[in-house]
Amino acid sequence: MDAVEKANLSTSQKYSKEVKVGEGAYAVVYKGREIATGRQVAIKKIKVGQFKDGLDMSAVREVKYLRELQHDNVIALLDVFSSKTNLNLVLEFLDADLEIIIKDRSNVFQPADIKSWMVMTLRGLEFCHRNFILHRDLKPNNLLLASDGQLKIADFGLARDFADPNVKMTSQVITRWYRPPELLFGCRFYGPGSDMWSVGCIFAELMLRTPYLPGESDMDQLKVIFRALGTPTEDEWPGYTSLPDYMVVGQYPKTPLRDLFTAASTEAISLLAKLLAYAPGKRISAKEALHHAYFFQPPNPTHHSKLPKSKPAASQENDTPADKKAQNELYDSLKGGTGTRKRKSSMGHEGPGRPPPLRHGDMASTVTGSSSLRSP
Amino acid sequence: MADGNTGPSSGEPKALEGLSTGQSGRKSLWQGSSQYRHWRFSKETLHQQRTQINESAVGAIKNAFETDEPGSSMGIEFLNAEDEYALVKLYVGKISQLCGHFRFDEEVEATAMTYLKRFYLKNTVMDWHPKNVMLTALFLAAKTTNHPISLEHYTAHIPKTSPNDVLELEFLLAQSLSFEFAVWHAHRAMWGLWLDFQTLPDSRPEAIKDIYNAAIDHVRMSRLSDAEFIYAPSQIALAAFYLASEELAEQWAKAKGLSPSDLDVIKEAASMISQESEQGGGINVEFVREVDRRLRLCKNPEKIPGTKAYIKRQEAAEAAAAEKRAKKALEADSQDMDVDVFGSKPINDASMHGASSAEED
Repeated sequence: MDAVEKANLSTSQKYSKEVKVGEGAYAVVYKGREIATGRQVAIKKIKVGQFKDGLDMSAVREVKYLRELQHDNVIALLDVFSSKTNLNLVLEFLDADLEIIIKDRSNVFQPADIKSWMVMTLRGLEFCHRNFILHRDLKPNNLLLASDGQLKIADFGLARDFADPNVKMTSQVITRWYRPPELLFGCRFYGPGSDMWSVGCIFAELMLRTPYLPGESDMDQLKVIFRALGTPTEDEWPGYTSLPDYMVVGQYPKTPLRDLFTAASTEAISLLAKLLAYAPGKRISAKEALHHAYFFQPPNPTHHSKLPKSKPAASQENDTPADKKAQNELYDSLKGGTGTRKRKSSMGHEGPGRPPPLRHGDMASTVTGSSSLRSP
Repeated sequence: MADGNTGPSSGEPKALEGLSTGQSGRKSLWQGSSQYRHWRFSKETLHQQRTQINESAVGAIKNAFETDEPGSSMGIEFLNAEDEYALVKLYVGKISQLCGHFRFDEEVEATAMTYLKRFYLKNTVMDWHPKNVMLTALFLAAKTTNHPISLEHYTAHIPKTSPNDVLELEFLLAQSLSFEFAVWHAHRAMWGLWLDFQTLPDSRPEAIKDIYNAAIDHVRMSRLSDAEFIYAPSQIALAAFYLASEELAEQWAKAKGLSPSDLDVIKEAASMISQESEQGGGINVEFVREVDRRLRLCKNPEKIPGTKAYIKRQEAAEAAAAEKRAKKALEADSQDMDVDVFGSKPINDASMHGASSAEED
């Protein structure tokens, strides 16, 4: 056997797969262990054999970026190995995600808790942006939580490097509710500001305990945004009416954020407004956000070990249906976009169903250089 | 396999590394990259790596020959590390031609070249011919740099190549790269330097442009050399500028507070590049042709369909797979027994295989 194959085999033998915790069209996630240390890991098995173009782009992106990024607030890719026609990513095992925590009504969030999740999200994202990487799919479901409460940004299946000026990127990225208005208007040149809008939506969701801008379609999404934040003026967002997919959405008045976010501090409102600035260039950066007064006013962020958690993970055999559901939802984010992600909640108190994740189009359609993604 | 190439090499070039952060004690982005951590060598360790790969390959192939037919390895002139290197280099150069054909971005081209060079730090040409690996390297590089093209379109434009030829090697290539797809390139660093030059006092944009055009040729030449394994991308970029205009490079270094001795490593890199240019890309076509002729005789028979060694290897692989299947089937069987003692559900081969293959890796 060749040296390279031997190395691959010995990597694969370092881990044992235990239980399947999620399955989708594109990947299966197992809970497993590093045999030598007993450390829990998640093994994401990507079925490559079915792709006629070999390793698919989500897998390539995820591996490429996670191999480079090492940060407390970015999920750790511990190893990669292949087995026959599958690619296996060994990731650190994480118990929950922010969406589960937000939905769990038994949790009460203190302002200090929200600040703590925000600071961890921004630290992780600032690190990505410092490395010239755009995430392009930030949402609570992709912010995973370790058992010690540390937040980790996950799912880099849509990530890419910043493009050079004049290089077009696809506007079909970021799950609808978290997608910024410039992408909804078909803007093909964008940067870290687009991720920052998603952070703004997540911040609002943490305060409201329900998605802030839940549009039912791409068209409706703009309406929902304008209704919440007022139709942008030319002054606020110069030139936006000449974006490729611009359309008249309607005139909505500006209502102060304060009216909805009644319990938020002045600084929290100020940061939120800067994250949700219409003009992408005026939107606050991750680095600036970390220096915003919000983080320097009391209360101090809760230590991550003291943050609200989802119910203690029951052992596999004792899983209640609710636990199972929570777990399936958690692993949706690891799978990075699959058909199994539909999760119209049975609890029925949160409005429309989550928008489906974005999936990559057939690579054949990308010959022209524009990556094509199917809209949700 | 142990990564023989981790850790800083001896006599590590210092100038320019970590300049970007200006912070001591904190890793720069470059230092956090997989390229910095795993793909840097000294000239000596690089030589050792190639020699070691070559020697263990020759040992293994001799064995395979003997398996095929005892005594058959006698009198075969196996390739040595230098022969291998020369052949690989020829195909590194060919990537440029292919990229021109597909109008690939420079990023794709440079990345494919790096992949091909890295592949042969872990493998031998006697197992995998670079003309095949080159095609997979380019196809994978297009994907990892975000310029994917469809495989059908790709192979339709390459004579005598089927989609399967390209895909077959994709996993092996990815494994050989340790799944480290991100590459830092000198041409990117050059762009940064060029922008920086324009901020120098009394810089003359017109002159700088000519210098840039000359320097980019030096960077392209550097891709045929080992420079990227030994120097940082920014060092290669400055070396390229140094070759194009010593004056400008020195002026910039001074403005950045580098001492003249900091430029020593730049001059070293520059001489590696200019050596490459003098040899006309360092490829002696006659010599390489001879290497390729000898390669036909010393290819690993395990990799050639039809030979005894190949058949034996296939058989061993199949036996291992069958054993694994049997084990899984047995496990599935015993589970079935627990719940379905009386066989109300027919247990036939097909359903068992179906169940086990779903669970297979």
